[in-house]
Amino acid sequence: MSFFFQELVNGITTGALYALVALGFSMVYGVLKLLNFAHGDLYMVGAYIGFFVIQLFGGAADLSIAVPLLLVIMFVVAAGLVGGLGVAIERFAYRPLRDAPRIAPLITAIGVSFFLESSALLLFGAQFRVYNTSEFISLNSGIRIGSVTIDSVQILVLVLGLVLMTGLRMLVNRSRLGKQMRAVAADREAAEMLGINVNFVITATFLLGSALAGIAGVMGGLLFNTVTSTIGFIVGLKAFTAAVVGGIGSIPGAMLGGLVIGVAESMVTGYISSTYTNLIVFGLLIVVMLVRPSGLLGRAQLQKV
Amino acid sequence: MKGRLVLVAAAVGSLVVAGCSSSSSSSSSSSAAAAGGSSASTKACTTSIGIEAPITGPVAPLGTEQLHFAELAVSMDNAANNTKITLVQGDTQLQPAQAVTVTQQFISNSNIVGVVGPAGSQEVEAIGGPMGRAGMAFISGSATAVALTTGSYPTFFRVVSKDSVQGPQDANYIVKTLHPKALMIVDDQEAYSTGLVSAMVPVFQAAGIKVDHESVSQKVTDFSSLVAKVTPADTVVVLPWQIAANAQQFGRDMAQEHKTAVIFGTDGLFSPGTFSISGSYVSSFGPDITAIPADASIAQAAQAKYGTFGTFGPPVFAATHVIDEAIASVCKAGQTPSRANVLAAIKTTNEPTSILGQPISFDSHGDLVNGKFFLFKITPAGKYQLIPS
Repeated sequence: MSFFFQELVNGITTGALYALVALGFSMVYGVLKLLNFAHGDLYMVGAYIGFFVIQLFGGAADLSIAVPLLLVIMFVVAAGLVGGLGVAIERFAYRPLRDAPRIAPLITAIGVSFFLESSALLLFGAQFRVYNTSEFISLNSGIRIGSVTIDSVQILVLVLGLVLMTGLRMLVNRSRLGKQMRAVAADREAAEMLGINVNFVITATFLLGSALAGIAGVMGGLLFNTVTSTIGFIVGLKAFTAAVVGGIGSIPGAMLGGLVIGVAESMVTGYISSTYTNLIVFGLLIVVMLVRPSGLLGRAQLQKV
Repeated sequence: MKGRLVLVAAAVGSLVVAGCSSSSSSSSSSSAAAAGGSSASTKACTTSIGIEAPITGPVAPLGTEQLHFAELAVSMDNAANNTKITLVQGDTQLQPAQAVTVTQQFISNSNIVGVVGPAGSQEVEAIGGPMGRAGMAFISGSATAVALTTGSYPTFFRVVSKDSVQGPQDANYIVKTLHPKALMIVDDQEAYSTGLVSAMVPVFQAAGIKVDHESVSQKVTDFSSLVAKVTPADTVVVLPWQIAANAQQFGRDMAQEHKTAVIFGTDGLFSPGTFSISGSYVSSFGPDITAIPADASIAQAAQAKYGTFGTFGPPVFAATHVIDEAIASVCKAGQTPSRANVLAAIKTTNEPTSILGQPISFDSHGDLVNGKFFLFKITPAGKYQLIPS
């Protein structure tokens, strides 16, 4: 039984990470109907920023500031810079194509993804950058219940992930900006006619979604230690799948989708074999999509004819 | 409009950066050429060789190291032989399809008379046919699959030994020295890794060891679920991987979940700055040249120019040197280097010593004669200690 709980903890932690990235996918799709394939690369940029913040304060083995303060700075700087990068991408790469056929921004998103990946390779080099998290957060500093271990980084990821997802849900459901986002998502032209500043809402959506990806990047760096220019691809793919499974455009759906994929991966690896993880997990997802084409929490769209 | 201008400016900027990058790599060749051409009275021996390496992509750190050592070899050989050999780069990303594209470019470039690489066995399988038809010699510094030298690829050579040597040798060491009753072996879904696993598993099974064979993509960095499967009976985890940082993370996940199995890795895991789990073993097709006195000047030059390195660079240096020497011998014989005469010269290679600390000559199928592997154990200080064979 303890094996089950260990795999559950591992799966939920990874799932929380997927969910945070999936939220950005889902939010952008909700307001723009754009599949932003560059979103996984924003995760990569966030991970690099976290790494360089650690270096700025002396490196993992010789930190010049307290660890809690370091973590706050890492998350804030990554959220700010990656959020800003997301806004810049929207402003210069996607906005000029807003009224173009939908294939154009889609191709542009793929181009932006390669641009970010190649730029990171040129700027930061091919070598792996390593967080060395265990140098400043002890591997034994978490909770141990029987043989189930939940280390401090996993706890941090779970708690912060939950706080951010709850906060985002409240923002979208209860704030004025959230109401505007929902209005733009429902009908952009009608929202504009009602006096909503659509450009501002879209910019805010990119800012929030990208900031979450940046924070997820730092979380990924802390959890998995390794940063290279290519890490965004696989996380982006999983997060995109999570968003679709949960119901793209649905914020609770993205959260649920992320957790479902994370836990499914973990359980298949643990109980069957890692060899078949992708085969079985994505096979299950195909079944889910066949049964519920709009995703687990997505709503079927009415189409005017 | 303003936005578009900024976008255009950004694009131009990136092209400038890319341009700087390419010019820096070609400048090493031209400076090498300048060194080679120091004697104005000598007739220039001018030609090009290609290098196929994963310069970008998931294993870019290994590919970059290979590129650096090829550049270093060309530079030193140009100076020593008074040749003007230029190195043409081809990035394969360790993808067979990309390797085929690069190979077609190299074949259509009549200046190229030989190729260093590619890195992966799966790439050799993809390009072996076209290379053979073009009569172009290609020497890999890291492709170890057994099937590559069974006669299908007549212009292929390698300066490292093969899986049928490394796999059983490593497996026997594990059986006889580490005495596991059960173990986990995890391939990384690439031909290199699955080939080694295929060579090791029969040895384990013959010794009565229970084997849990797992598989994860090179792109995966979360091993927590897999590590949870390591049982107390699994006293050894074998990772024939190419990415040292992934093995380091695997080791961290084991520590986090209080698992005490010994990690036994191969080749790509030789990376003292990256993989440093104390008590782990790494077997490698290349030696640690920093510990070979005769290689001191090369090691110092590489360290000064490119920083720390592992065991992927030196075999590529050796491979490049073989082609450089073949070209030089052709020129010395008064001929113009061509694919045919360079291939013929490579076949007769007989270097009594090399950067790898062993002689280099090839058998009729392109295999290194008397190739060997090196086994290291990682000390608590993170140093790689050679275990005498």
